[in-house]
Amino acid sequence: MNPLLELRNLTVHYGPKCVVNDVNLTLAPGQTLGLAGESGSGKSTVAMAVLRLLPRAARVRGEVLLDGDDVATMSWGRLRAVRWASASIVFQGAMHSLNPVHRVGDQIAEPMRLHGTPGSVAELLEQVELPREKARAYPHELSGGQRQRVMIAMALACGPRLVIADEPTTALDVVVQAQVLAVLGRLVAEQDLGLLMISHDLSVLAETCDDLAVMHRGELVERGRTREVIANPRHPHTAALTAAFPVIGDPAHRWAEPAGEPEPLLEVRDLVVDYGRTRAVDGVDLTVGRGEIVALVGQSGSGKTTLARTIMGLRTPSSGRVIFDGAEVARTGRALKAFRRQVQLVLQDPSSALNPRHAVFDAVAEGLRVHGVPGDEEALVTAAVERAELRPASLYLESLPHELSGGQQQRVVIAGALVLGPRLLVADEPVASLDASVRGEVVALLLRLRRELGLASLIITHDLGLAWQIADRVAVMHQGTIVEQGSVEKVLLAPSHDYTRALLRAVPRV
Amino acid sequence: MRLAGRFGGAALSLLMVAVLGFFLFRVVPGDPVVSMTRGRPTTAAMQAELRAQFGLDRSLPEQFWSYFTSLLRGDLGTSFTFRRPVADVILERLGPTVLLVGTATLIAVLLGLWLGVRSAWRRGSAFDRVTTGVSLTLWAVPTFWLGMLLMMVTGDLFPSRGMRDTDTAPDFVSQALDVGHHLVLPSVTLVAVVCAEYALVMRSSLLEEMHAPYLTTARAKGLRDDLVRRRHAVPNAVLPAITLVFLRFGLVVAGAITTETVFSWPGLGLLFYDALTGPDYFLLQGLLVVTAGAVVVMNLLADLLHGVLDPRVKVV
Repeated sequence: MNPLLELRNLTVHYGPKCVVNDVNLTLAPGQTLGLAGESGSGKSTVAMAVLRLLPRAARVRGEVLLDGDDVATMSWGRLRAVRWASASIVFQGAMHSLNPVHRVGDQIAEPMRLHGTPGSVAELLEQVELPREKARAYPHELSGGQRQRVMIAMALACGPRLVIADEPTTALDVVVQAQVLAVLGRLVAEQDLGLLMISHDLSVLAETCDDLAVMHRGELVERGRTREVIANPRHPHTAALTAAFPVIGDPAHRWAEPAGEPEPLLEVRDLVVDYGRTRAVDGVDLTVGRGEIVALVGQSGSGKTTLARTIMGLRTPSSGRVIFDGAEVARTGRALKAFRRQVQLVLQDPSSALNPRHAVFDAVAEGLRVHGVPGDEEALVTAAVERAELRPASLYLESLPHELSGGQQQRVVIAGALVLGPRLLVADEPVASLDASVRGEVVALLLRLRRELGLASLIITHDLGLAWQIADRVAVMHQGTIVEQGSVEKVLLAPSHDYTRALLRAVPRV
Repeated sequence: MRLAGRFGGAALSLLMVAVLGFFLFRVVPGDPVVSMTRGRPTTAAMQAELRAQFGLDRSLPEQFWSYFTSLLRGDLGTSFTFRRPVADVILERLGPTVLLVGTATLIAVLLGLWLGVRSAWRRGSAFDRVTTGVSLTLWAVPTFWLGMLLMMVTGDLFPSRGMRDTDTAPDFVSQALDVGHHLVLPSVTLVAVVCAEYALVMRSSLLEEMHAPYLTTARAKGLRDDLVRRRHAVPNAVLPAITLVFLRFGLVVAGAITTETVFSWPGLGLLFYDALTGPDYFLLQGLLVVTAGAVVVMNLLADLLHGVLDPRVKVV
């Protein structure tokens, strides 16, 4: 019997650049294979090559055999018939992969009409546990998890034997991710589908796939049973990937040094924030001590970002107090500006937080100029950039953001915060958009800044592993209130609230 | 709520146009009474009588008040030059303008959008380069010059003045053919000039959509390239163009002053031109209110239609 999918010596070039180099891979019917790798490893290019969806500029060599047929030599008509009917794709970021002006039901039905497949949209929606009325919804009316379910329903519409899932849960928070993975896993098992799942997150692949392949710089460096690969990685890159994902409860992944009982630096008292009639933050008490790292965890929509924005003075609370260093934070004028200098924000996605036309020097110096800080600008900027471990600074000062890697960009953002000599960093998902190997370095940097400068941090995240790695204390936020807070060990190892337990259950295990 | 806001905004714009229309033309140089009586022997007493007849002897606020109250009743006043109600004069000229500019706009929209889609889809192709180059050139060319050039090039092939010949048989078919014949040159001129705008807007907005991930989804489903374009890319890309098209529809009523003047087309544009030489205050005010009103109404329609076409925009 033919394998479902076989890649023979697949090589893809963009101009002189080789993005996939001599990859060989087979997938038997009903087999589930995870393809892991960091951004730029070529894993998505492989997925797109299976249905010959790469842009014109790509030069593809080697063979892609789908059920024994070479995709590269198919006629256009044959290729169109094979697309979606033999193999379909669950794309990443369902918001942009669904057409915003068509109802999702029509988008699911489209390939069925095209390929003449019988079946009903309502049944497909039920399979992914969505009510059938959602067929009439537009993509923007659905949540991230619902959109991803629509993508899965759409992928199954023509009864393919192979489903390729490209980062299907990347933008989702941990609870929704667990639900989507459960739906996908169940359907793959029920319908005996072949699954090629692509992700940068080993724990997600470990949850869903029997086999695991690892790509690094365009090459396939490892392939084997998932458990064996993760337990005994043979390639150093695989080892780096597995090590980068913290295991909650494992002391080796607990990087934060134990802290005493520090004096409070930031105190939030009974804070309430309303958006119109919606109460986003509902009576929150929170303390961050001097030099302390506090993780504020919760799902999307729990109000954690609103809380952070209010602390920064970017939103006016409906009631309650924010006290910094013993004094109430002003809402306007010079005092607010002085406060903001001491509290700096680090955002999730450095590529959009940095102005693409500003060189590193200007990006970092901007804060100095806004606050009119006296002194030698160049010396201050250089010191901050080196603090953020871009050494020597002279190599980077003239660079534009697009010339830097994601990790370097995030360091530039951090340097921009450090240059003002803040006492508290508010970091909103500081490592969520970074690759596994870089992620560890940025976490280590934040810890080193605390040790050397006494810099406190409030880290907002849905990633409980990050909280385990870095934080002294954890506050769990749910529907606008803090349901549990305390030391990391207490909250994550012996949770007392049901919601915390639900969050912990949803974390995929390697 | 938002719908009420849209209508309120449109009403406010109309009010401002009415006020502006009155004061704007009072600064146009020239004395209407002098132009009215040009070429005829007149005495100071006769001029004063004329002034009184049109209310020009009263103070500016008084004149404004009487203009404004009659406007609310739908009365646009009496034209100095035609000695007839402004509304009648405008209504008479509306038909030819809508015919000319309407035809030209319709052709320009269809042609422009089609050109824009094709050039974006095959970006950098010979078709794209030629289309973009030619439309930019035509856009940059002065309208009157292009019109005169067309007249010269086509020679006697098409009539170049007016809307119909006096000696045409009175039956409908001959009349329609005659008007159609006269329509060719002015409408070709207009299409050539405004088409570029649609083509360029459509091209750039489709180029932005070209790399949208949902197009990859559509391709992966097995859709043919032209279906991907027609069903998925264009409906998203056409949204910004809709606003522009409707703004242009509003300008249909305003006509094309230069084109109508060059080809002596008896429409509102030519009327505007004639009224300015007076200056015929009431006619100018009336024209401004009518044409600006059309733009405001069309803009409102564009907003409402955008809400229908794009489910992300909630109008009601």
